[in-house]
Amino acid sequence: MSRKELLSKIGLRQDGRRAEELRRIRCKLGVFTQPDGSAYLEQGLTKVLAAVYGPHQVRGGRSKAQHDAAIINCQFSMAVFSTGERKKRPRGDRKSTEISIHLHQALLAAVKVELYPWSQIDVYVEVLHADGGVFPACVNAATLALIDAGIPLKEYVCACTASLANNNVAMVDISNQEETLGGPVLTVVALPMSAKIVHMEMSQRFHLDHLPKVLNLALQGCKDIKAILDDVVRQHVKDIGSSTGWSQTNRKQ
Amino acid sequence: MPTDNKRIAGPEDSISYRLFKETSNESVLSKINNLKNNIRSDGRKTNEQRKIFLKCGVVSQAKGSAYFEVDNTKLIVSVYDPREIPKKTDYSLKGELFCIFKYAPFSCPNRRGHQQDAEEKQHSAIMKRALESAVCRHEFPNFQVDVYVLVLENDGSALSGAITAAGIALAQAGIPMYDTITSATLAIQGSTKLLDPTLEEEALCTIATHKSDTETGYDSHGIIVLAILSTHEQISEFYQLGNLNLDTLNESISILMNATKEIVPLVEKCLVDYVNKTFKANGQS
Amino acid sequence: MNLCEAEKTFILHGVEENFRVDGRERSQYRPMELETNVVAHAFGSSRLRLANTDVLVAVKIETDVPSVDQPDEGKIEFFVDCSANATPDFEGRGGEELATEIANSLTSAYRSTKAFNLSKLCILKGRKCWKLYVDILLLECGGNLYDAVSLAVKAALWNTDIPRVLAVNLDGNNVEMEVSDNIHECVKLDIVPAPVMVTISKIGEQCVVDPSAAEEQCATASMVVAVSQDRFTTVLQSGSGSLHPSTLRESLKLGLEIGSKLDQALIEVLKQKPAKKQIGFLM
Repeated sequence: MSRKELLSKIGLRQDGRRAEELRRIRCKLGVFTQPDGSAYLEQGLTKVLAAVYGPHQVRGGRSKAQHDAAIINCQFSMAVFSTGERKKRPRGDRKSTEISIHLHQALLAAVKVELYPWSQIDVYVEVLHADGGVFPACVNAATLALIDAGIPLKEYVCACTASLANNNVAMVDISNQEETLGGPVLTVVALPMSAKIVHMEMSQRFHLDHLPKVLNLALQGCKDIKAILDDVVRQHVKDIGSSTGWSQTNRKQ
Repeated sequence: MPTDNKRIAGPEDSISYRLFKETSNESVLSKINNLKNNIRSDGRKTNEQRKIFLKCGVVSQAKGSAYFEVDNTKLIVSVYDPREIPKKTDYSLKGELFCIFKYAPFSCPNRRGHQQDAEEKQHSAIMKRALESAVCRHEFPNFQVDVYVLVLENDGSALSGAITAAGIALAQAGIPMYDTITSATLAIQGSTKLLDPTLEEEALCTIATHKSDTETGYDSHGIIVLAILSTHEQISEFYQLGNLNLDTLNESISILMNATKEIVPLVEKCLVDYVNKTFKANGQS
Repeated sequence: MNLCEAEKTFILHGVEENFRVDGRERSQYRPMELETNVVAHAFGSSRLRLANTDVLVAVKIETDVPSVDQPDEGKIEFFVDCSANATPDFEGRGGEELATEIANSLTSAYRSTKAFNLSKLCILKGRKCWKLYVDILLLECGGNLYDAVSLAVKAALWNTDIPRVLAVNLDGNNVEMEVSDNIHECVKLDIVPAPVMVTISKIGEQCVVDPSAAEEQCATASMVVAVSQDRFTTVLQSGSGSLHPSTLRESLKLGLEIGSKLDQALIEVLKQKPAKKQIGFLM
C-alpha cells in the first residue's frame, strides 16, 4: 500500500478540504454563569471550553503580585476522555504544563495588564475533544472568554497551524489525521490586525525557502479566524444588548 | 502524612496464596447459610460484640493516643497538637481535623502498600466527618489537629474501632469535645444482622445471594457503620454499603444505637483510669 | 461563595415556609437537561445540567485481566475530575479531595452485584475481561453534585455500547479474541437497577432535596442515599454535621421516595429514542 498523500493530485486533502481552507469554526460566548467570562469553541472536531475569572485580588502568596500590572494565571487541562486512548491524568504532565506556559505568553501580549495593578486574571481551558490543533483552539477560545469577561485587549489574539504538503504546497489548519500522517507543523500565534507574531513553534523540518509561504498561509489563517471570531462577538453583543432594549434605542436615532 | 517515595516499596502487587486455595462455591454458600441461620464461626450470638480492650497514652511522643483491640483487630490512634493549617491563605473560623487511616502493610491477608489506597482514603474521609461533629472546632480557629490511625491487624470492624479509639485519643490530648464518640459495625446477610463482624463475616456480607434455591430474587446484604455522640443522641456518621430495604435499615439503626451505648462506659472508664493514674504519678513525685 | 448570617436566615425561613429562595417546595428538584452521546471518542457519554451544575460523563472500555479474587467479573472504575472552569479553587490539585469523595461514593453505590452486575463484563474467566472507565468531568458547580453526577453516570452507562465478542481462542498463554467488525453490533448493559443518588440536607428543622450551592451552606447536615430499585445501596453523610436518629430515619424515608421517583423519570427519558440531530456540545 502506498503511503497516503497529504494532498491529492486534484488538490484535495484527506478530509476533503482545499489546502488553504480552514475547518469549520463554531463558537459561543457566555456558556457558563459562574465564571466572569466563558466561551466554547469548536474547530473541526477539536472542542475547547475556556473560562476566565477576574481581575481579582491575587490569590495565594502576596509576593506574586505586581505593582504595575496584572498577573495572568493560565491552566490548560485535557479531559481524560478527550483523546482516542484514555489519558491517565487530566493535567500536570509535561505537555499540559508547556501548553499552559505558551498560552500565558500568548495572552500576555494581548491583554492590557497595565490597567490592573496588584490583581490577577485566571484563564482556564479545558479540552473536551482533541483532534489536532489543540493549542491554537485554546488560544482562540481564551480570547473569546476574555472578551466575554470584558477584559480590555489590545486586539484579538488568534492562533493557527500550517504545514507543507508534498514538499511544495502549504496547507492551513492541520487536523489530527494530517499530524499523524507526518509532515511538519508550524503553529503561529499572532495579533492579526497589526500583523505581529506573538509566538511561533515548529515540529519537524522543511527547507528555509518554504518558510515564507507556510508562514504567510498561517498568518492568513489567523486573519480568517479573527474575522470569524469578530462576527460571533458582534452577534453576541447584539443579542445581549437587544434583550435590554439597546438595539431599539439605536433605531430611534 | 509525608510519604517517602524513595523507600523500597517491595513488590508492586502481591496476592495472598490463600486466594489460590481451591475454594468451592459450596463452601462459601454453606458459610453464608450458616450465617443466615444465626450460627457464627466463633460461637457468638448475633447481637454480641467481641470483648474490647482499650488503653490510652500508648504513644509517648503524641499528645494523645489510644490502643484498641477486639480479638484480632488491633489498632493504634495518635493525635498531635493543633498546628497551623499548611498552605492556607484565608482565615477559617473553625479548626480542622486531618485524619489519616492506614492499614499496616502486614495487617490484612493482602499486603497493603505504604501509600494510602482508595479504600484507606475513603476511611480517612469517613473518620474526619465522624469526628468533626464531636470536636469543638471553634475553639481552635485556623488550626488543624492531626489524627493518625494505624491498623496493626485487621479482623473486621476496623473503621468503627478506629473512630471509638480516636475519640479517646482526642480526649486524652485535651482537645475540647462536646461528647464521647462511639461507633459500631453491623453486617447483614439475609435477615441476619451480625454485630461487630469479623473480616470473614464482612466479606460474606458483601456477596448478594438468592433468597432461596428456588427463587431468583436477591436477598438483603450489606455493612453499616454508625458513629454517635451518645449523650446528645446525635449520629455523626452513618455509612452503609450493599443492598438493603428501608425496614432493615431502620431496625439496624436501633441495634447499632444499643451497641454503641454499651461501649460508652468502657470509654469513660478508660479515660477516668488514665486521669487517676496521672494524678497518682504526679502526687508521688 | 460565603453567605452572611442574614442571608442564611432568609434561606432558613424560606425552607420553614416550604417556599424556597428559588420558589421551589422542599421536595422539588430544579430543572434538568440531559443529552446522551455527546463525546465522539467514548463508547457512551452524557451531559447533565441541573440548573447551574454541569456534568459531562464519558465511558471508555479497555480489556484487562480479572483480579484473582473475582476471576469471573469485569471491572469498573470511576474517575472524577473537577475542572478549574467550575471554580478557581479547583486549580492544580485543589479539586482532588472533592473528586475522590464523589468517586468513592460511586464505587460504593455500584459495589453490590444487585446494583451493577460485573459478571457480564467477563470475557474469559480468569483471563480477560472488559474494564469500564467512567470519567466524570465537573464543568460547573451549582450545588447538589452527587445527584447530578449519579444521574449523568447512569445515563452514560445506558448509552454505552460494548463491542460484541464473536470468539475467544486460547493460544497457549495468549488470549485472542475476535470482536465484531460491525460497529452497530453491540451489547447493551442492564442499567435499570443502577443506583441513583439523592442528597437530603437538613436546614433548620426541615429536610430538603436538591440543595442549591447557597442552601448547602445553610445545611446543618447532609445525607446522600443511593437508591436502586427501592432499596439502598449506599448511605453516607456529606460534609460534617450530625443528625438525631429520628431525623436520620425521616431523611432515609424521604430519600427512598424521591430516589425511586427520580429513577423512574430518568429511565422514562432514556427509553425515548433521542432525536438524532447533528448538534455540537453546548450549541
